[in-house]
Amino acid sequence: MQKEQICFTLNGETIEVYTDPTISLLRLLRDELGLTGTKEGCGEGECGACTVILDGMAVNSCLVPAGKAKNRSVLTIESLAKGDKYHPLQEAFVEKGAVQCGFCSPGMIMSAYALLQESSEPTSIEIRTAISGNLCRCSGYKQIEEAVLSAAEKLKNRGESG
Amino acid sequence: MSYQVVSNLEQVLSALKNRGENSRIIAGGTDLFLEKLPEKLLDISALAEALVIEERGGTMLIGAAVTHARAVASPLLAKKVKALTEACAQVGSPQVRNLGTLGGNVINAAPAADAAVALAALGAKAELIHYSGNTRTVEIEELYAGFNCSAIDSCQELLLRFVVNSSDSGSGSAFARLAARKSLALPLANAAAWLRVEHNCLQEVRLVVAPVKPAPTRLFKTESLLVGRPLIAESWREAAGAAMDEVEVRGSLLRCSADYRRHLIGVLVGRVLETAAGRALTAKGEA
Ligand SMILES: Cc1cc2nc3c(=O)[nH]c(=O)nc-3n(C[C@H](O)[C@H](O)[C@H](O)COP(=O)(O)OP(=O)(O)OC[C@H]3O[C@@H](n4cnc5c(N)ncnc54)[C@H](O)[C@@H]3O)c2cc1C
Ligand code: FES
Ligand code: FES
Repeated sequence: MQKEQICFTLNGETIEVYTDPTISLLRLLRDELGLTGTKEGCGEGECGACTVILDGMAVNSCLVPAGKAKNRSVLTIESLAKGDKYHPLQEAFVEKGAVQCGFCSPGMIMSAYALLQESSEPTSIEIRTAISGNLCRCSGYKQIEEAVLSAAEKLKNRGESG
Repeated sequence: MSYQVVSNLEQVLSALKNRGENSRIIAGGTDLFLEKLPEKLLDISALAEALVIEERGGTMLIGAAVTHARAVASPLLAKKVKALTEACAQVGSPQVRNLGTLGGNVINAAPAADAAVALAALGAKAELIHYSGNTRTVEIEELYAGFNCSAIDSCQELLLRFVVNSSDSGSGSAFARLAARKSLALPLANAAAWLRVEHNCLQEVRLVVAPVKPAPTRLFKTESLLVGRPLIAESWREAAGAAMDEVEVRGSLLRCSADYRRHLIGVLVGRVLETAAGRALTAKGEA
């Protein structure tokens, strides 16, 4: 397997990795960079557990060849908390009971994060559309929708945008 | 293994030429990445020439590397080729729409690929460039060699963009599908229509449904029955019946029976015709 140098921005920091460019971004993040917050559910685009933000857009990292990240910017769930201060989305997920087993939560939160970057006062329908590529086998989605609404309010009150 | 992100056309053509059979074009990767990968991949998702969305002298140019998400977000496409906007909006999930492209949707050659069905109804043509420099323009249907099998060799030829005639006044289009769920489910059937209206009657109709044949399937008989008809509910009902008679569908154990699919195609045909006709009238009003 031939390896290549891949330079990209990961959670705000420029990094360079030496890897097989045809492994998935998910494998690169979890196995080579030790960022295990991003989960693997299905490995084929069907569940959203692996959702990360690529140049501002939510994508399934299991479908993205590592080589595609070259010179681009990737945000994972690890980028959200600042020190021991959680992101409003993370707080809201806990407060609203939107986390049960927690396996879908990183992906769910990254999809919601992408939405909140676009619209600071999302409607219910926008939230449902934004998380329509993320499966949760535990919660029933209602609490997740409420958590995203609540996070949007928190962000507005704090005058931040994501 | 090598992975090259290409940014201009010359780079693509020379890479295809020099690297021979084991290098293949990849766009969003949402289909290809799940298959066995070739040795070398040429990523065209940032190829400027394949990212255009513009209207030039009565023709819409739509790049093959345009993602479903970008297509959905384009006001120009919504105004001129609404069926495509509607089709792209229903593909997979937001994450898949952010990666998957129009060109990939067609070249992957799934029989009921949503964007492909809309493009066929819109009468889109595909512009291809071979690594030798030869270019050709073909109908969407000509890009299919069989079920899930493209007539295009993506190790030799690039699908650059689609061209759609957008000069007809009083025309409208629509797309509809039914799937087991609203997202993350492939359609049981889909349908798209493009039509042109004059004096409150149908002058021209293109009606496409899938999955019927390997490629998006034109319903020529039903189309000819519609020409000259008034824009009333009875026309759509008759067309639905005619479409059900015209299609030869297969059932699948996984998705639905042939009877159900035939019925569904009838329902979808009625819906897209009615919606497209409404849009054609609105377009006339605005012109
Ligand atoms: C979870 C999931 C859900 C999905 N749901 C739907 C759905 O609802 N409806 C639907 O229609 N599809 C669906 N798809 C399929 C897929 O997302 C689309 O077909 C998508 O448009 C493919 O585009 P791509 O850019 O990702 O193609 P790629 O995977 O990059 O390429 C597909 C094929 O086309 C070739 N190719 C790509 N671009 C070019 C070009 N410009 N020139 C020459 N060859 C080229 C490649 O070599 C490859 O053979 C789904 C996929 C997943 C994973
Ligand atoms: S692991 Fe990527 S979508 Fe399921
Ligand atoms: S909390 Fe268990 S899958 Fe969502």
